[in-house]
Amino acid sequence: MQLSTSPDPTARISIRGLSKFYKDYLALDRIDLDISKGEKIVVLGPSGSGKSTFIRCLNRIEPHDSGVLMIDGRIIDDRTNLTALRGSVGMVFQNYNLFPHLSVLDNCTLAPQLVRGITKSDAEATARRYLSQVNIAEQAEKFPIQLSGGQQQRVAIARALCMNPEIILFDEPTAALDPESISGIVGIMRDLAEQGITTVCVTHEMGFARHIADRIVFMDRGAVLEVTPPEEFFTAPRTERARTFLAQMIRH
Amino acid sequence: MLAATLLALAVALPAARALADDLPSFVHDGQLTLCTNPTLPPMTFVNGSDTNALAGMDIDLARRLAAYWHVTLIPQTMDFEGLFPSLSAQRCGMVISGVLRQAGRLRNYDAVAYLDSTVVAVARVGTPKIREMADLSGQTVAVQSGTSYAAQIERENDRLRAARRAPIILQQYPTEDQVVQQVLIGRVHAFISQDVELYYRQKQLGGKVTIILTPDYPDFHQFAVYIRKDSHDTALLQKAIDELSQEGEIAAMAKKWGISGDHQSVFTDQKAPSRFDFTTFFGALFSTAFLKGAELTLVIALLSHLTAIAISIPMAMKLNGRDSIIRRLLGLYVAVFRGAPTLLQLLFIWNALPQFFPIFREHWFTPFLATWLSLSINESAYQVEINRAALRAVDPGQVLAADALGMTTAQTYRHVIFPQALRIALPPTINEFISLLKTTSLASVISLQELLAVTQIQVARTFQFTEYYAAALVYYLAMVFFFLFLQKRIERRFIWADRNKASADAA
Ligand SMILES: Nc1ncnc2c1ncn2[C@@H]1O[C@H](COP(=O)(O)OP(=O)(O)OP(=O)(O)O)[C@@H](O)[C@H]1O
Ligand SMILES: [Mg+2]
Repeated sequence: MQLSTSPDPTARISIRGLSKFYKDYLALDRIDLDISKGEKIVVLGPSGSGKSTFIRCLNRIEPHDSGVLMIDGRIIDDRTNLTALRGSVGMVFQNYNLFPHLSVLDNCTLAPQLVRGITKSDAEATARRYLSQVNIAEQAEKFPIQLSGGQQQRVAIARALCMNPEIILFDEPTAALDPESISGIVGIMRDLAEQGITTVCVTHEMGFARHIADRIVFMDRGAVLEVTPPEEFFTAPRTERARTFLAQMIRH
Repeated sequence: MLAATLLALAVALPAARALADDLPSFVHDGQLTLCTNPTLPPMTFVNGSDTNALAGMDIDLARRLAAYWHVTLIPQTMDFEGLFPSLSAQRCGMVISGVLRQAGRLRNYDAVAYLDSTVVAVARVGTPKIREMADLSGQTVAVQSGTSYAAQIERENDRLRAARRAPIILQQYPTEDQVVQQVLIGRVHAFISQDVELYYRQKQLGGKVTIILTPDYPDFHQFAVYIRKDSHDTALLQKAIDELSQEGEIAAMAKKWGISGDHQSVFTDQKAPSRFDFTTFFGALFSTAFLKGAELTLVIALLSHLTAIAISIPMAMKLNGRDSIIRRLLGLYVAVFRGAPTLLQLLFIWNALPQFFPIFREHWFTPFLATWLSLSINESAYQVEINRAALRAVDPGQVLAADALGMTTAQTYRHVIFPQALRIALPPTINEFISLLKTTSLASVISLQELLAVTQIQVARTFQFTEYYAAALVYYLAMVFFFLFLQKRIERRFIWADRNKASADAA
């Protein structure tokens, strides 16, 4: 599939020639990609290939150096209102990064109140709805330290959902979780797609990737080498790098 | 109405006199300002438990001089070492504080003598008399620091060394009463002082000490009023003292304070005081002087620490940030104020700053403000390290999460970083505060009437040092324990950081 040179304003996310440097080091190398509404993208690739850097560019936690990033038809650059951007693009981290000094409920209501200016009672109503969507409503009054890893990750997802984002970025959300918790997260991510939320997820779990991905994005040394549906990627990868990557993953 | 009229008169009158008469230049605005160290009875001391009630021969003389010039006397008390720096800094017009007229001091200041005196070497009762100072070879002798006895003993030592004999071992203490204590407790063989002081001490000491020698030092024969160098002022002051002397007023003051030439009359044995006088102890404990001293200690410590915290938070944020000129300057600030002794910083701000900026010698710049300023600056240099460590200890993932939620930098600090850093910073901050509470005692050198200054003044007056030290100790301990208790209470609020406690709390 060959993409046109100009970004596609009808796509949820449209990326053309996106590059990023850390000093002299080329961390992202001319990435082209279109992601449509409600799509579930999984980013795979060896360690250090630029997966985290790539998804952090999507909510501009890391600004890119060249190329075009367009979200819902709007160009994202240094003139973009970051508060609005981060409201529509949520993020979930490997280590959850919940606020330890706040209860589960307060974790979910802090940003909506501060950033969106929503009243406390509205924010709490929304938070409780999303907390029950991720099956954790009964833990609302607890502190993060009192929860298991899987529970904390579900709180982190609820916290992102409370901002009503159209897109959620996941950076290895299951890396610190046991298999049972992982299947819980898989279920939640399917629900999100049904609600029309686009997800871009970095992972090292091949099983997880195969279960949830609509398309796999395979990266190596900052470049995107393949964008393919999972059945095809896992059975007949097109590039030699992807083949060796998969062979290594299976051996582990 | 009447009071207002009187006040207007009081202000107008000296101004009118200033035009008519010739006033010394150190008398102005209807005021004569005096620097004195009230720990040397009967010359200058605090009579009674009110620390503002100055008394003694020197105070009477200063009052009489003020009356002579028809102005108000404004006395300022401070450590002996602070007297001459304060005179130079124009913080006061004259020093009358049992200071001897000496050639060395006359190089920088003018002096007018008002009372004759002699030097005495004093030891415990029963110590044999000696013939000359050289007989103290190899013995330990105590003097008040800042006085010229130390230089005199050095000269004796030069002669002793030339004669290949052991020198006199010298110990110096900040107040005269501590000097006397050393003889009483037997740590030193003798102390050097003036006869007039000893007349007074004898009543307190109940004949426990005796004069072992009256060395004839020409430099130690007269007490003098010191002023800044000005021949016209000196002539006017000399004229005033001469007139008071001729009318017998100075002799009357000396008599009033028991400064008579009759040595033996005061050296009569009295009954020995009891070991620990609980009446004195409880009296001190509940006296307004101690309460006020403790209050001042607490207020200055709290105020200084709060100021230090307020300035050290932005400093810590800057120091944790990227390299810049400001960051380097802050690094220098921290190094300088942590490196220099706190006492030196206090003395610098009080005595040296007015030399550079005259506005700091004006009356608004009180010892309280000077202490607040220097302790805040000093403490901020320590507090900044606590803040830096606490801010660094907050997981960078927290900032990332707040960023990803669209929070501004200010919101992130206010709602995410500070609450977490506070938990880490609290125990060392309370430690710092407790240490600062004790550091405030240094401010007695710049005449702040905090707890230790009050204690020392009371000790100088009564000589019951054990009782007054004990009362001060009770106050310090009570304050420290209160803050330790407060720390425990606050720490209980941080249950979110401890899984076990959090679960126990929920159960
Ligand atoms: N802040 C930074 N400064 C300099 N170099 C960086 C920075 N962040 C990442 N890099 C470099 O960019 C490259 C890509 O890093 P990135 O974290 O995106 O890799 P990744 O694919 O997510 O790896 P992993 O699977 O181990 O998480 C790496 O070589 C990394 O060392
Ligand atoms: Mg990564």
